[in-house]
Amino acid sequence: MPQKEINKVVSGEYQLGFEVDIETDTVPPGLDENTIRFISAKKNEPEWMTQLRLKAFKKWQTMAEPHWAHITYAPIDYQAISYFSAPKNPPQNLDDVDPKILEAYAKLGIPLDEQKQLQGIAVDAVFDSVSVKTTYSEELNKLGIIFCSISEAIQEHPELIKKYMHSVVPMNDNYFATLNSAVFTDGTFVYIPKGVRCPMELSTYFRINALNTGQFERTLIVADEGSYVSYNEGCSAPTRDENQLHAAVVELIAMKDAQIKYSTIQNWYPGDETGKGGIFNFVTKRGLCQGDNSKISWTQVETGSAITWKYPSCILKGDHSVGEFYSVAVTTLAQQADTGTKMIHLGKNTTSTIVSKGISAMRGQNTYRGLVKIGAHAQGARNFSQCDSLLIGSECGAHTFPYLECKDIKGYIEHEATTSKISDEQLFYLRQRGLSEENAVSMIVHGFCKEVFGQLPMEYAVEAKALLNLTLEGSVG
Amino acid sequence: MKPITLQHKSKEELRTLLKTSAKKDLLLEKFSELDMPSTKSEAYRYFDIQPLMEQEYKTAAFIPREIKEHDKIEIVDGIVKTAPKGIRVYYGTYDDVDMTHFDPLYYLGHLLTPAVIIIELDGDIEVELLHRFTKSQTLFAYRLVIKNQINRHATLYETFEGKSAERSLVLYGYDMHIAKDSSLRVLKNQTAYAPHYTMIASHKISVEKQANMVFKSFDFGDASALTLLKVDLDTSAHMEAGHLLYIGGQAKRGIVSQIVHKGKHTSSHQEAKNILDENARGIFDALIKVEHTAKYTKAHQNSKAILLGENAHMVTKPQLEIYIDELEASHGATTGQLDKKQLFYLQSRGISQIDAEKMLVIAFANTLIEKIKDTRNQERIKMSFEEAFYASNRTKLLKKTDQ
Amino acid sequence: MIQIENLKANIGSKEILKGLNLILEEGKVHAIMGPNGAGKSTLSKAIVGHYDIEVTGGDITFKNHSIIKMKPEERALEGIFLSFQNPVEIPGVNNAYFLRTALNAKRKHEGKEELNAAEFLRLMKGHLESLGMKSDMISRSLNEGFSGGEKKRNEILQMLILEPEVIILDEIDSGLDIDALRAVCEGINKMKNGKRSFLVITHYSRILDYIKPDYIHVLKEGRIIKTAGPELVAQLEAEGYESIKDESI
Repeated sequence: MPQKEINKVVSGEYQLGFEVDIETDTVPPGLDENTIRFISAKKNEPEWMTQLRLKAFKKWQTMAEPHWAHITYAPIDYQAISYFSAPKNPPQNLDDVDPKILEAYAKLGIPLDEQKQLQGIAVDAVFDSVSVKTTYSEELNKLGIIFCSISEAIQEHPELIKKYMHSVVPMNDNYFATLNSAVFTDGTFVYIPKGVRCPMELSTYFRINALNTGQFERTLIVADEGSYVSYNEGCSAPTRDENQLHAAVVELIAMKDAQIKYSTIQNWYPGDETGKGGIFNFVTKRGLCQGDNSKISWTQVETGSAITWKYPSCILKGDHSVGEFYSVAVTTLAQQADTGTKMIHLGKNTTSTIVSKGISAMRGQNTYRGLVKIGAHAQGARNFSQCDSLLIGSECGAHTFPYLECKDIKGYIEHEATTSKISDEQLFYLRQRGLSEENAVSMIVHGFCKEVFGQLPMEYAVEAKALLNLTLEGSVG
Repeated sequence: MKPITLQHKSKEELRTLLKTSAKKDLLLEKFSELDMPSTKSEAYRYFDIQPLMEQEYKTAAFIPREIKEHDKIEIVDGIVKTAPKGIRVYYGTYDDVDMTHFDPLYYLGHLLTPAVIIIELDGDIEVELLHRFTKSQTLFAYRLVIKNQINRHATLYETFEGKSAERSLVLYGYDMHIAKDSSLRVLKNQTAYAPHYTMIASHKISVEKQANMVFKSFDFGDASALTLLKVDLDTSAHMEAGHLLYIGGQAKRGIVSQIVHKGKHTSSHQEAKNILDENARGIFDALIKVEHTAKYTKAHQNSKAILLGENAHMVTKPQLEIYIDELEASHGATTGQLDKKQLFYLQSRGISQIDAEKMLVIAFANTLIEKIKDTRNQERIKMSFEEAFYASNRTKLLKKTDQ
Repeated sequence: MIQIENLKANIGSKEILKGLNLILEEGKVHAIMGPNGAGKSTLSKAIVGHYDIEVTGGDITFKNHSIIKMKPEERALEGIFLSFQNPVEIPGVNNAYFLRTALNAKRKHEGKEELNAAEFLRLMKGHLESLGMKSDMISRSLNEGFSGGEKKRNEILQMLILEPEVIILDEIDSGLDIDALRAVCEGINKMKNGKRSFLVITHYSRILDYIKPDYIHVLKEGRIIKTAGPELVAQLEAEGYESIKDESI
């Protein structure tokens, strides 16, 4: 197939690039102690939280931006970013939510008003720096499940926040996590009590709307002994020429016999084909399998952002604990992704599975970077990794950088990686059976990603497939 | 000469220390850019470089002597002592230093070397190259330039001796040019049991059009050693690399390599087998890079490691960096133990567990050794391995037999 | 049905077909025989528009319309089906899903309503049974890990479901044992309906015991040098291709 047609096929229009015009409370660009006090005051935070933020900020000032990843970008001016933007008049209940915001979420396919709420999915909607609406929280409350914005949790459940925030991702873990610790604005908090199986999918939808604004959300999920939760996040942003910074932190804690399934569909604005605009996505996600037999499973479908820098990781501390990472990362246009995982085996007989599928097209650069470490006391720990790359076109790049360390004599690590293109032969076979080029490409790409999509909850698998089609197929649905 | 350490030298200090000529300023520039290796350098991440940099070394004086005729090339403490008849070995300058090498010590080696040893392999020959080190606490820094002839097929068999070179550091390496349509086979056999000298070998191999390079290292040494290898492949060039590592004790040894596919229709095949006993650490850090110009490349890489010792440790970093879609590339890596099914099969035929384990370890090593095409060299390596395996008391398998 | 006139085609810079003429009649079975390297596979690829083939002269018409400029999928939707000699494996693409997509593309092209998953599965299961294929064919990935026989049967299954008007069988007997060959040929014979045309490309005459040809064409050095009835098979068996005189000049 001629390159021009392939490019047409793989450069689908960004469908969520609209912007809504609402009145916002936006702090002027710039970052100093006053900004942090301002954010903290805006959120009526207790003094201990303000102090934690300031401590992080002091630390951050001594740190340097990391540059080891396989990505290149113009320097970020941290003083040119606005660190807080909120719709004016924060809503007390749904009637107070600006209809324009409701409309924006409806456009994204996420109805927030009660009659239309998604069946079986509880949603926390975060608009720029604040959570605007959490659905189903009362129903969940009856089971003892806490599902609220992190701002609310700081007010209502300080003992849990004090105990668990920074316990998996330390405040000074890395440059972006430390920045987040200083300036985070909102996010989601989930607590599942002992023995409770959360009856519905929990979900947060992040939307960046305001101009020149960074989004720094923080998510904390604690699954107590024997509990189960499946949590999903989605995100999008308007089409703009400027780069916008998104630096989130996600911490997961799974106690004995608990299970957390965390799925992400990341569709931030990717910029255009020359590399102009798009979100810089620098995210720290880490889960701690604290108790024996606990399990944390990350599934991500990454189609957006100009730059993606994220490594959802598992620390397998409890004996027999399980970590999983399933990823589809698509880089097309001029996108760059450096993404992967870390599996740190500390407990006995811990197991981890990594399945990473990278798709590069046009000028996209896609890097898998992963660490598997079996410690000397992780007797009988096992890992299996499979990292496959699919290249479409001669201008793109696919890179695989695994770090595999085994210190245990009974440990076992197995890593496989392949790089391939869509073969002319496969394409021709499908076309000979009457499929159009676009359909044939799409079918092969979906086949390539199948293992990962299979890990997503049903509703999200459908969304992910549609999104992949949009990203890769232009007008063909 | 005053003892030196390698650490914490500014560019100016180095310039004075090395008395470098203006000609070498570019190298100095490049070296400063990469910086002296530390635990933070990617290439030395898993190799304990810090103590080596901190240690004080005597330096060996560079006094070339007349080269005597002998059946092998022998380099003693960095000075050529003998060479076989008909092979041109001489000192000279080298202007083609690779300015894109990833290893700072490649540049330091060139900076520390007043004159390189040039070896011209004429015709279809086989040569043995012996490196001998005789002084303790000394820094031996020297570089070789090895060239072969167009359309010729040569073999270089490399061995090492250094019984009295305690606490010495060897910093050597070659710049190799594999001429068009030729082939060169390097068999590197490191069996020396002098546990006290450390060797860092930093190589650059340029494989020209339609040439075939075979680099096989058989490493059964006791102390620490690291081989850093950068290979550039021109159109239709082929590289075959094999690395057998069998180590115990406190040894930290391994390979850091970059195979760069530059021309069309290039191919590379890299295979590592690592057997780690006692407290040994094995390193396999290998990048395959396929540049935009290298259409129709085939690149395959595989690493397998077996941990025998309770505290043995394997670090594997197989990497692919690919900038073109018309290619075939893969890598695989496993770290684990001897296969239970195979052990059981052998035991079910009446073989004791110990013998079965030994059999499997030897078989694991042999899969690489037996890929050496000529039987004479194959036998030599096989003997070296078995000697290392039985003579050294490092393996728990043999200790078990004693009980 | 299909008319090929003075077809010239290259693979790379090498001319393989050197002015080939052939007419496929409606409802008839045509066998193309010839030595290795004569251009048999090139002919089948040229008809379906394979990317390896560059047509440098002549024309191919299907129902009196030139198809030479048409995309492969357009030719397929018109009703031309190639059973590949070595069907390619496509990991992760579900066999049933693929086939339903192909069938619905065709139905849409013909202005018919598309089949839903349940309707399609019923149809597919029926054919699987008649071909003696296992029902796991529904869930497996397209041709992935299939044995030689399974791949060929899967081609026949697609043929039964897509109901093409012209069927090209490229070395359908290669790599099949006698039982598999019989089953595959039964499937093919079922497709005969008096209207459908077949082009059987083969190196050996064995398959012609199972699929009775109406015409035998001998292809040699890029041209059809002789066309005759089924009686020619015996002569070819006995005397080989060397014995055939070029009658096209």
